[in-house]
Amino acid sequence: MTVTPSLKWGLIGLAAIVLSLAQAGLFQQDLFNLNGAPLLWKFIVASVHPDFSPELLQTTFNATLTTLAYAVCGTFFSLILGIIGGVLTSEVWWLSFGQPSRFWLLIRGFLAAPRAIHELIWGLFFVNIWGLDPLTAIVAITIPFGAITAKVFSEILDETPRQPLLILLNSGFSPLTAFFYSLLPQAFLNLLSYTFYRFECSIRSAAVLGIIGAGGLGYEIFLSLQSLRYEQLWTFFYALFILNGLVDLSSAWLRRQLGCSSRLDLNLQQTKKKQAPKDIVRRRYFLLLPVSLALLALCFWVINPDFSKLWALRTQQLLGQFVRSALPPDFSEVPRLIPQAIETVSMSVLAIAFSAFGGLLLAFPAANNFFLPGGLLNSNPGKSANLLPQIMLLLSRAILLMCRAIPAPIWALVVLFVMFPGILPGAIALGLHNLGILGRLMAEVIENQDQRPLEALKAQGTPNSLIFLYGVLPLTMPRFVAYSLYRWEVCMRETVIVGLVGAGGLGRSLTEQLSSFDYRSLIVTLGGFLMLTFLVDWVSATARRSLR
Amino acid sequence: MDLPAPVFELKHVSQQFGQFSALTDISLQIYPGERVALVGSSGAGKSTLLQLLNGTLRSTQGEVWAMGRNLSQLSSKRLRQIQQQIGTIYQQLHLVDNLRVIHNVNAGQLGRWSFLKALTSLIVPLETETAIKALSQVGIAEKVYERTDRLSGGQQQRVAIARVLVQNPIVILADEPIASLDPELSREVMDLLRNLAQQTHRTLIVSLHDVDFARSHCDRIIGLRQGKVLFDAAPHQVSPDLIADLYRLESHR
Repeated sequence: MTVTPSLKWGLIGLAAIVLSLAQAGLFQQDLFNLNGAPLLWKFIVASVHPDFSPELLQTTFNATLTTLAYAVCGTFFSLILGIIGGVLTSEVWWLSFGQPSRFWLLIRGFLAAPRAIHELIWGLFFVNIWGLDPLTAIVAITIPFGAITAKVFSEILDETPRQPLLILLNSGFSPLTAFFYSLLPQAFLNLLSYTFYRFECSIRSAAVLGIIGAGGLGYEIFLSLQSLRYEQLWTFFYALFILNGLVDLSSAWLRRQLGCSSRLDLNLQQTKKKQAPKDIVRRRYFLLLPVSLALLALCFWVINPDFSKLWALRTQQLLGQFVRSALPPDFSEVPRLIPQAIETVSMSVLAIAFSAFGGLLLAFPAANNFFLPGGLLNSNPGKSANLLPQIMLLLSRAILLMCRAIPAPIWALVVLFVMFPGILPGAIALGLHNLGILGRLMAEVIENQDQRPLEALKAQGTPNSLIFLYGVLPLTMPRFVAYSLYRWEVCMRETVIVGLVGAGGLGRSLTEQLSSFDYRSLIVTLGGFLMLTFLVDWVSATARRSLR
Repeated sequence: MDLPAPVFELKHVSQQFGQFSALTDISLQIYPGERVALVGSSGAGKSTLLQLLNGTLRSTQGEVWAMGRNLSQLSSKRLRQIQQQIGTIYQQLHLVDNLRVIHNVNAGQLGRWSFLKALTSLIVPLETETAIKALSQVGIAEKVYERTDRLSGGQQQRVAIARVLVQNPIVILADEPIASLDPELSREVMDLLRNLAQQTHRTLIVSLHDVDFARSHCDRIIGLRQGKVLFDAAPHQVSPDLIADLYRLESHR
């Protein structure tokens, strides 16, 4: 028997997980610190009686508004950057101007660096320049998210069928007109759908940025956790759940209205597309614009960032100072960086293994088309007395929401109650946070799955367990794996943010060097981190391609 | 005359989807060994009727009996036992296309296999002889270890037929099995279905757009129009006028 790509990559993945576990010290050292158990218990008990005093509720409301405002403003600016960058880095744009040059590849390469650096590092950097101004949070979100959006937009544009554009170009339209009349309308829904997804990500990022002092819910949570005020902490947690839940729900609802069912399409082969939605809902596009504009205005008014700082003389001076003090790079730390780099990769591997496994387990009860009455695997058609599936649906969705709403560094601090610092608690924290995102994406894969092959199996009298084995699992697995690999790339970047709270790896060095103004070493560490990120991206992309 | 017990019997069956009634008051019997063609325009209720017969749908009104059982009164386990005797061939879209051909063919046996056996077979394919025999009957034995989505549309349709062969049911239902095939392939697939039914004296019910194939390959034609039976007759009794009536648009009435 020949070795299939899935077998090969499966074995590689397994080996990577085992090696990472060994690296995490699973087999030699003490991992659990049971002295912290009472504290953890106190923390858990506080969840049932959060602090609902009026003053705290007022604080919570303000903090929630701040977090939302960061996310909205950050998304707005990254959208602008994304549109400009996306168009400029797409092959099709240069093609329509009759320039077959490879210029777009160059810009694409240039955008890789801001994308690879996590928002938190950008945040810490800009705190050094602007202090704790709202501007810091917005720019910290805008830079990496703008670069990511640009990349995804350019890919969407390049993958949109070009025939209509070429027809217009060949009949003498100006390139710009042709672009606006053919490619943009075709790609619009995909672009919009991705924008919603970016906004969901922005909300989570805005919470993380609070931890470096930028304010908002993340900041309040961090303060309460440090001062052991768990009742307050849970009030903020609940606010974060509601905010995340509302944003995810409305984004899902909007995408359903517009007929784009998947929030991010990883360009697997496009087979068996569902039918286009009925045209009655199309008109609601136009409502979207005034609503988002009003929200945007409100958010700018709430946080009132001082944009003059962007071009202020002092900013230029500080930036110049930074560049001068960062050169020449200091390579003396390199021997110390190599084990840290290995730690970082191990942490990301363990995190994604954890979240893929957990996400898979929770995705099936969280999908709405399987166990519910009328669902394919519901064993009692016609009888609706059984409430268990509904309860499982709500419960699993609640767990997923809780996992993704709480920022990874906060999870890390909670895990550190009962574990000794190291890469394993870091991986668990990252894993918990990503589990919530991955489980949600997987549930969507299941809900969008073509039902016909499964109905065919059912019609010939196949028991449910075997429908699952021969139908559901093989049909959904490729997408699960693709999402997990994609999330692995994200996990790699996020190792930095758990490094901040002492989970080890390169993230820890980065944050230490940033806060001690050791810019000459910082540049080197950052360079190493970038190389590592590109390596992981490459492995993930290669695996995804060969598993298609 | 003493007729054998019918394989299927519909008693005043109606099927509603919300406000839309797909089938209205259908009563008919189908006897062992018959080759029945369902003809009619899109939306006439052909697929709905087949789904009622194989137990995928439960009728909103009336009773569907299969092999002497009232389908709507069976427990899900008993229903599965009946369903194992009914093989349905859909268009190629109903295969699990990223599994290898062998597993899609073996899927026909899942009603009889234990969970453990099915699991083992996904790793080391079991009962390959049966599968290869079925595949050679449909002429693509050499494709047994290929991934199903690498096959052409016609080849995938044959995989679907091989699956039903392995299932070895008493009745074969086919839902527009030749809708997306070219004329040459259509003839081959229809010949295959007819021979399968004739050789083993199985009952065949096939929905078709092409009335010529219905005439040449079946011994009974049921014409459906807007959810009602317009005619139910032997091929030689179905006149061109009747066919014209079947496909005439509502507004021209």
